[in-house]
Amino acid sequence: MSGHSHRTPDGFAAQAREALGDRTLTQAMRRVTDLFAERRAAALETVPDWQELRQQARAIKLHTLARLDHYLAQFAGAAAKNGAIVHWAEDAAAACRIVGELAQVHRATRLVKSKSMATEEIHLNAALAAAGTEPVETDLGEWIIQLAGEMPSHIIVPAIHKTRQQISELFVDKLGVAPSDEPTVLAAEARERLRQHFAEADMGISGVNFGVAETGTILVLENEGNARMTTTLPKVHVAVMGIEKVIPRFADLEVFLRLLPRSGTGQHLTSYQSLLTGPDVGVPGRAGQGPRELHLVLLDNGRANIAVDETMRETLACIRCGACLNACPVYQSVGGHAYGAVYPGPIGAILTPQLQGMHQAAALPFASSLCGACKDVCPVQIDIPSLLLELRKRAVEGEAPGAAPAKRAAFEALTWKLWAWFVRSPGRYRFAAAMARLGDKLPLVKRLLPPMRAWASSRALPRLAKRPFRAGHKDGGS
Amino acid sequence: MPAPRPSRDVALFATCLGDQLFPGVVEATVTVLERAGCAVRFDPRQTCCGQPAFNSGYWREARQVARHFLDVFERADAVVAPSGSCVAMLHRFPQLFADEPDVAARAAALAHKTFELSSFLVRELGVTDLGARFDARVGWHDACHGLRELGVRDEPRTLLAAVQGLELVELRTRESCCGFGGTFSVKLPEVSTAMLDHKLDEVMEAPIDVLAAIDGSCLMQLHGRLERRGARVRTMHLAEVLASR
Amino acid sequence: MSARETILARLRQRAPDAPPPPPLPPVRSTALLEQPPFASRLAAFTAILAKLGTTVEHVADVATAARRTTELLAEHGARSLASSDHALVAAVTAQLPTDIERLAHDAPRDDLLRAEAGLSSAQWAVAETGTLVLVSADERHRLCTLLPDLHIAVVPASRLVATLGCAFARLQPDAAPAGQTITFVTGPSRTADIELTLVVGVHGPKALRVLVIDD
Repeated sequence: MSGHSHRTPDGFAAQAREALGDRTLTQAMRRVTDLFAERRAAALETVPDWQELRQQARAIKLHTLARLDHYLAQFAGAAAKNGAIVHWAEDAAAACRIVGELAQVHRATRLVKSKSMATEEIHLNAALAAAGTEPVETDLGEWIIQLAGEMPSHIIVPAIHKTRQQISELFVDKLGVAPSDEPTVLAAEARERLRQHFAEADMGISGVNFGVAETGTILVLENEGNARMTTTLPKVHVAVMGIEKVIPRFADLEVFLRLLPRSGTGQHLTSYQSLLTGPDVGVPGRAGQGPRELHLVLLDNGRANIAVDETMRETLACIRCGACLNACPVYQSVGGHAYGAVYPGPIGAILTPQLQGMHQAAALPFASSLCGACKDVCPVQIDIPSLLLELRKRAVEGEAPGAAPAKRAAFEALTWKLWAWFVRSPGRYRFAAAMARLGDKLPLVKRLLPPMRAWASSRALPRLAKRPFRAGHKDGGS
Repeated sequence: MPAPRPSRDVALFATCLGDQLFPGVVEATVTVLERAGCAVRFDPRQTCCGQPAFNSGYWREARQVARHFLDVFERADAVVAPSGSCVAMLHRFPQLFADEPDVAARAAALAHKTFELSSFLVRELGVTDLGARFDARVGWHDACHGLRELGVRDEPRTLLAAVQGLELVELRTRESCCGFGGTFSVKLPEVSTAMLDHKLDEVMEAPIDVLAAIDGSCLMQLHGRLERRGARVRTMHLAEVLASR
Repeated sequence: MSARETILARLRQRAPDAPPPPPLPPVRSTALLEQPPFASRLAAFTAILAKLGTTVEHVADVATAARRTTELLAEHGARSLASSDHALVAAVTAQLPTDIERLAHDAPRDDLLRAEAGLSSAQWAVAETGTLVLVSADERHRLCTLLPDLHIAVVPASRLVATLGCAFARLQPDAAPAGQTITFVTGPSRTADIELTLVVGVHGPKALRVLVIDD
């Protein structure tokens, strides 16, 4: 498998350093985030009611998530009535087992898959590979990183960290083709190879962008046509859907379709949306043209716990557009790999600790300067900075639901206790400041204190003023 | 000279950073407020708003400090600070005291009358010209918390536009975070510096003499790196620019 | 307990003091806005698709559509044509030169996979976004709009609506027979996965041509 599977959410600091040492990666990240941010800004100018759309989308999501039991049951019922077969998966293992068994039952050995974050979250490919039926990724970027045995670095353009030369070398090595670093040639090669896979596939696996409760319809959104292929050509289609993807009404799709592509790639609409309402079995006198069986795997894997957490619930409003990644100065600097998880960037920093548990992802809520750019661009107005702060508190106080108290340095806890003791009293504050002035004169102190060292590694240390402001203002007047 | 204005009592929140590291910025704040017709008082019992602990996840400790802040300031008519970040923290108090609704309500009332310097001058007092003169080309850094939590964008520009001799140069990266982020800057120094350098790469090429902002914390970060990179660009707080004559 | 019950039970574990759910806002739809006249709709549709490299032509009748289809096929060097079962498509194909190989919607999969062009109609076209709305319950066009390199769509002028919301208002998947697939197509297939360089035609059609026919 991947040569990068050692990465973990808690390894953020080291992984970020590693990323910063990779110029190809950092330049690619800067390029993609700049370009998408620019395109997003241009796309927004064509939508005068953008803020109203965001409010509408947020209101729909928050309502649905607060009553998710109701809407999920309604969705499952409607989908079943349409002829879809609905499966419920409590966790990643259950979802992988369900898909694996479906492959077995249908004797499916050739599987194709379109891009889906939920299937990456549950590591479906690895699970199916263990059974000898690893699906072929068919999104160009995903296919490239599958060939390379790597991890996506961006949720919209997964192979953005690879240069065309690196992709060319990869194709020469893995496919035995003549070298070419021309993207059109490389894409044509992918088209031809993957055509073969589509034509022969027994089963197609996709994700779901939206599930409509009132009709049981699922919507899959894409640009390349690979998701259409995946959901049309094989005789069995398995769609893995996070339970938070449900929205109440068919007509609500318009709002989300106006928001999602503009926020993600800056397109007014992606090339294709497939709205599937049951398997395409056809009508009397007319055969269907799609899969005869549609299986829906409804994935919880930690989502239900988030949905009943009043404070954190809005995490699930995310529609996976990637706008917060592109706007985030941390992500812009280090890219997706540093986060050591499937969901990178600001949304990953709040989602990963909740899905995987604080005991292995407590570093992520701290991987932010709290600048707030993510909240500004989020099409559903998720207050990511507030959620980051809440998770920081939980990491420190060990009250993350379903997670063991996070590791934390006793020294750090003691430091903050002392800090508060000094700072909550004017007398002690003055005393501490006076002591600090003494310390400021001793260069040794600066060399020994880790925060000072960390600061001074790249920046000149500030000096305490000879006299604090208050020294001249003891009388209360100015 | 600006016309005399009705007096307004202002409780000055120097901020711990201003008090201990940048007393000159606080002095300039007092000067500017007095020129705008305010009677400024400094309550020496004040310390910190609690943000460092709050942002680090130590809310119990942050509450202890925040409670002290409430006790010191809640009887003031108006509280003004030369910082967007510390004022934005006041707006976080309801989140911090979510389990104590009575304290949260007191905090919300205080937040309502606590202002960042430039927005107090422009929005509350309607003052835009402080009779300042400053001969320099100035680049502006939109500090994150002021910009995104308090909506401070036009106010500093309005004030700078009235400064004689000053040429404001708009930077492409004006709204990019400087990478400070409190303890973020020392917990992840390499990432913090990468963010900083992205901004400074433009700053150091820009035709500016001074890089200015409303927050001492950003300026500390920006200055520390500019000095390390041997740049000739100086950093200044808005108050210092406005107090110049 | 079944997985279904477990998940639903988890979702019902709300705190007793939890606030009531916020209300569901009324549907927000652009279908309720005033609709511009056909000429404006056609101009918008043409302009936005032009940005995606897709040409839109307004033709008077089936004969003209057939002539333009023939020319488009020649331009793209396409010798075989997969068609849907739409009446308008049938009318157009009937007037095409006989040397073009015709493949019906129910032709063997392997034949459809090697078809060089596809001809379909669309149930709706959306001016604002340049989108074709393909409803499988009304037309068998899933394969002929997807597999060939060139997709030509002949769309009745009366089907051109102003906005996406207008299309949603006319689509009723719950009223349609089960198994309905609706596909929105906006321009050709594309990717920017390699260094963000736009490549048109990665898995789906490399070119899309639209003929709007007066009806």
